[in-house]
Amino acid sequence: MTATEGFKRHGDHSYVATFADSEKEVLLNLCEQIIELLAERQDHGHDDPLAAMVGITSHDSPPEDEVLHRLLPNAYADQVDASEFRRYTEATLRQKKQAHAISMRIHLKSSDDGTVDLDHDNANAWLGAINDIRLALGVRLKVENNSHEDLELLTPDDPLRGVYAVYTWLGWLQETLLSALIDDADEDEESQLGSS
Amino acid sequence: MVKTADKIEEEIRAIFSSDTPWVTIVWDDPVNLQTYVVYVFMELFGYSKARATELMLQVHNEGKAIVSTGSREEMEHDVARLHEYGLWATIQRGDQL
Repeated sequence: MTATEGFKRHGDHSYVATFADSEKEVLLNLCEQIIELLAERQDHGHDDPLAAMVGITSHDSPPEDEVLHRLLPNAYADQVDASEFRRYTEATLRQKKQAHAISMRIHLKSSDDGTVDLDHDNANAWLGAINDIRLALGVRLKVENNSHEDLELLTPDDPLRGVYAVYTWLGWLQETLLSALIDDADEDEESQLGSS
Repeated sequence: MVKTADKIEEEIRAIFSSDTPWVTIVWDDPVNLQTYVVYVFMELFGYSKARATELMLQVHNEGKAIVSTGSREEMEHDVARLHEYGLWATIQRGDQL
């Protein structure tokens, strides 16, 4: 099976890509990893079931795991404000991120021939999920400190070389979906201007 | 810690005053693609492609940009949505920039 050509727009607000079996496997595997990672952060031993029900978490400090920390960052520089905000919002943020990855997993799993056909909302979920995966891989690759040139020079036996290959491929895939979406947005803008 | 009456009064005023502006700041991040950041600004804030691109470039070149201004509640809503899409964003009081 040939490698995917990325996403293309088909008609109105429909974004289609066909993945080779190996590509589908890689994407599914990465979705699972993100879903599991976020699940590790679930609240342990919540004392107050009502608080749990309305989405108040027992967490008031950022995750120690570097990847989770990047996915669930502080919203304030001030530590007291950051903790307070986290208590009321982190559970919802985790659920939304999981929902994006689960949506991507469902599309991949339910496709027999490797073709996925996304509407606008699905496309946004995919963009969010791909981005979370890239953020996670970026932490592992230490992109804060390593330039693209450094990463290009990884030797074939370096385990990070494969990670970097997936990271750049996901960036390219995300870019193909974005071009299709932004073309649409441009047309919407023009038609709005035209009608005013 | 005992707060002075003035200090308490100032805090109460800040809580109830709708004219104390807060801001949402997006910080530069080496992972997020430029096109993605532009798209998220267009999608979440309804900005034009030109406005979204201008903000993205400001984040890229200056390390950060103010992407929205409003009440604290509005800014918390914006930051939550930016975090949902993986952008690195924080909230700050507009008068403490």
